[in-house]
Amino acid sequence: MDNLMQIAMQNVNYGSIMPSLVLCIFGMALLLINVFLPRGKTTPASWIALIGLVVTAVFAARGWGDPQFGFAGHVALDKFASFSNIIFLFSAGLTILMSDEYLQREGYPIGEYYPLILFATAGAMWMASGTDMMTIFLGLEVLSISLYILAGMFRGQLRSNEAGLKYFLLGAFSTGFLVYGIALIYGVSGTTNVADIGMYLKSHPAMLGNPMTIAGMLLISVGFLFKIGAAPFHMWAPDVYQGAPTPITAFMSAGPKAAALVAFVRILILGLDGLQGDWTSLLWVLAVLTMTVGNIIAINQTNIKRMLAYSSISHAGYALVGLVAANQIGVSGILFYMLAYTFMNLGAFAVLVLAGKKGEENLTLEGFAGFGFKRPFLGVAMSIFLISLMGIPTTAGFAGKFYIFAGAIKAGYIWLAVLGVLNSAVSLYYYLRVMVYMYFKEPAEDYGWVTLHAGAVISIIISVVGVFYLGLIPGKVMEMARMALFF
Amino acid sequence: MMPDWIITAILVAIKLGFVLALLLTGAAYLVLAERKLLGRMQLRYGPNRVGPFGLMQPLADAVKLLMKEDFIPAQGDKVLFFIAPGIAAVTALITFAVIPFGPPLRLFGREMPLVVCDLNIGLLYFLGLSSLAVYGIALGGWASNSKYALLGSIRALAQLISYELSMGLSIVPVVLMARSFSLTEIVNAQTHIPFALLNPPAFLVFLISVLAESKRTPFDIPEAENEIVAGFHTEYSGMRFGMFFVGEYINVIILSSMVTVLFLGGWHGPLLPGIVWFFGKVMLIAFLFIWTRGTLPRFRYDQLMHFGWKVLVPIALLNVVVTGAILLLLQG
Amino acid sequence: MLDSYLPIIVLIGIAVGFAICTTIFSRLIGQKKPTEVKLAPYECGMPPVGSARERMSMKFYIIAMLFIVFDIEAVFLYPWAVMFKKLGLFGFVEMGVFIAILLVGYIYVWKKGALEWE
Repeated sequence: MDNLMQIAMQNVNYGSIMPSLVLCIFGMALLLINVFLPRGKTTPASWIALIGLVVTAVFAARGWGDPQFGFAGHVALDKFASFSNIIFLFSAGLTILMSDEYLQREGYPIGEYYPLILFATAGAMWMASGTDMMTIFLGLEVLSISLYILAGMFRGQLRSNEAGLKYFLLGAFSTGFLVYGIALIYGVSGTTNVADIGMYLKSHPAMLGNPMTIAGMLLISVGFLFKIGAAPFHMWAPDVYQGAPTPITAFMSAGPKAAALVAFVRILILGLDGLQGDWTSLLWVLAVLTMTVGNIIAINQTNIKRMLAYSSISHAGYALVGLVAANQIGVSGILFYMLAYTFMNLGAFAVLVLAGKKGEENLTLEGFAGFGFKRPFLGVAMSIFLISLMGIPTTAGFAGKFYIFAGAIKAGYIWLAVLGVLNSAVSLYYYLRVMVYMYFKEPAEDYGWVTLHAGAVISIIISVVGVFYLGLIPGKVMEMARMALFF
Repeated sequence: MMPDWIITAILVAIKLGFVLALLLTGAAYLVLAERKLLGRMQLRYGPNRVGPFGLMQPLADAVKLLMKEDFIPAQGDKVLFFIAPGIAAVTALITFAVIPFGPPLRLFGREMPLVVCDLNIGLLYFLGLSSLAVYGIALGGWASNSKYALLGSIRALAQLISYELSMGLSIVPVVLMARSFSLTEIVNAQTHIPFALLNPPAFLVFLISVLAESKRTPFDIPEAENEIVAGFHTEYSGMRFGMFFVGEYINVIILSSMVTVLFLGGWHGPLLPGIVWFFGKVMLIAFLFIWTRGTLPRFRYDQLMHFGWKVLVPIALLNVVVTGAILLLLQG
Repeated sequence: MLDSYLPIIVLIGIAVGFAICTTIFSRLIGQKKPTEVKLAPYECGMPPVGSARERMSMKFYIIAMLFIVFDIEAVFLYPWAVMFKKLGLFGFVEMGVFIAILLVGYIYVWKKGALEWE
């Protein structure tokens, strides 16, 4: 056997990319099926996409064993990646469940919608299992490009166009920062493999103070912080979240954000742990800034979609607290928190999908007046999700925040934890205000008939179950999150 | 005895001079040949006044082009207008550098390959330059500030890049069979049997794509004269027009040579010396070009694009896979 | 290695020189009587109407994008073709997967009507 072929055969390990491979196959098949379906028929596509996600989930769950390495150390399907994959699959699945009727109602039954979600999820998986900067970058691009299109999918709506274009321009720009950072780090260490970078920096401590290393670390951070939506790189988030189709907003705030976070965690803790002093002090400031900016501006919002966008920024801030702590509890807290956030945020958005009318002009605080009594089921569900977003005990949000802040305290960042708790208190105001409108205000006008579509209702039920499961018995999932850590 | 490098330099200079002279006179007389042949096909005489049988006609044309007024249209982009014909001519002139036009010659006791520069990536060099040639047309049409010119250049761009695709894909089987990018080695791989017989689909796709790449009937929609005057060079006059013109005919020679090298076995052939075989084949293909122009009507634009994208590309792609599979089976 | 490119560089020099010299030469000996009408863009003898730099049909942009995608595909085929014997069955299967993925895109583009001109 020839040498070249041997090298090629040995290093390829399809087991290491099995979940994303299955997703891509389903995505491409769906793309083909779509063009043969009659125009405007997207329901079969959504079912096929869901089947694809379930099949992928089986493969993703099988990744929960011995880590699989492949492609010459570019990809690792370890427990960390598998746990993240489950987060992505949940966010994609819930999104697809709530999408079909929404697309019909808004008048954009576009078949490419579902394959793009699958491709975005596959990109997120590459980010989570990438152990090489290039794989992570590749995943980020696949994820981002799919999202650019999804955000601007409603071609006739000005806001959707704005969202797509804004996200594309700023996203491309931030990706440039990331690549430049990778290039600088490569220039220092001579490798793009994350673990090798860490090893190199450990054996050459003199390079740690090198301006090139610091600049590379900063630029990589900028790239990821943009994708996470952390202040001061959050400017795109409100407009994009408000303009994008509602299910896509829900998806963007959960899956891709988690993907950027886990890839960021892997790079910082595995590759740049020598610079921990530098990046913790940087992220300390940014975490506080992100939480505060998100919460304070959210107070002022009357549009609920936009309010949730700002709240999403503040939640990114909470997650960054776990990264500042950079210990077992903190980082497993991030994984736990992103899973919890997926359920509560996607649930809240599913309620918005059902409550909205064509054009979604009614998704304001005024439009929600009396909502709780007119639509008891949706009102209760929305309240549960808002309570969880506040972080009240018995819900997933509380457990997540508890672990993250516990991690911060354990690592000695008492003040950070205090500021985080204070911020949660601030957030009470605007979450509670929605509930006040829902239950203590008279409806301004008649709602008209709202059908409870099966898909969105199922996603709400799944989310409610998830919120309570993670809130009441968090121990098992938290234990898994801790097992998932690679350090 | 002279130092080694001087001999090399002299040989290279001789080859360069030969190639340049050959290309320029070749292009000039190809024009004459085309006019004569077209004339005969249309029951006319063609040019026959300047010199015996009109043989001095190219010279008269050159003098005429040099004496013409050379102007830049108002609001045209002066710099681009100046550069565009240059790009067209230069890319055409330098492409021939990698084409081997004869078997290695023994001269001054050393082996001299009959190619200006036997690059190991000659094929990629050819593809790269044929992509670059598109710029001359694009910039020329844009810089003219004329509607016809812009229309012509945009059409030409879409056509050229579409057929470049099928051309590129139809070369892949050749590389598969010859296992080299070097044109000399590709010719040597056809010592016994030319690739045109081994892989007729690739040959046909390549021939048609080449016809389209040269922007000649039936693919001359970019300069369809009864529709958009002269396409991208509507506003050009004098020697700048001349350069587009010369570039186009040099391109015909080069593309014919590429067909010869890639599919017709280059200089290989019985009895006659290699160089005769090579130029004989090139002339045959060039004659084919002129013949199609005299015979076939022009495609409509939609037919043109359909043919490129929906017929040639799938055939070429399929051919790549089939050729690969057969080669794999033969290897065992 | 690099000196094998030397003849090409010389040839490029000669070609560029040829282009520049003929242009300048024709400018020197050619006549020069520009008038406003002569310099106007040719529109079959009528005075020019409007700007020439109009917006072009979307079709051409789509063709350009498709070209990028499929031309890169063709470029990826070349290294495989040249190493075909060494890569053997493994390379062939991998390339088949690659071509299949692009075929998916091709069929999609076709069915979506991006290759239609009316």
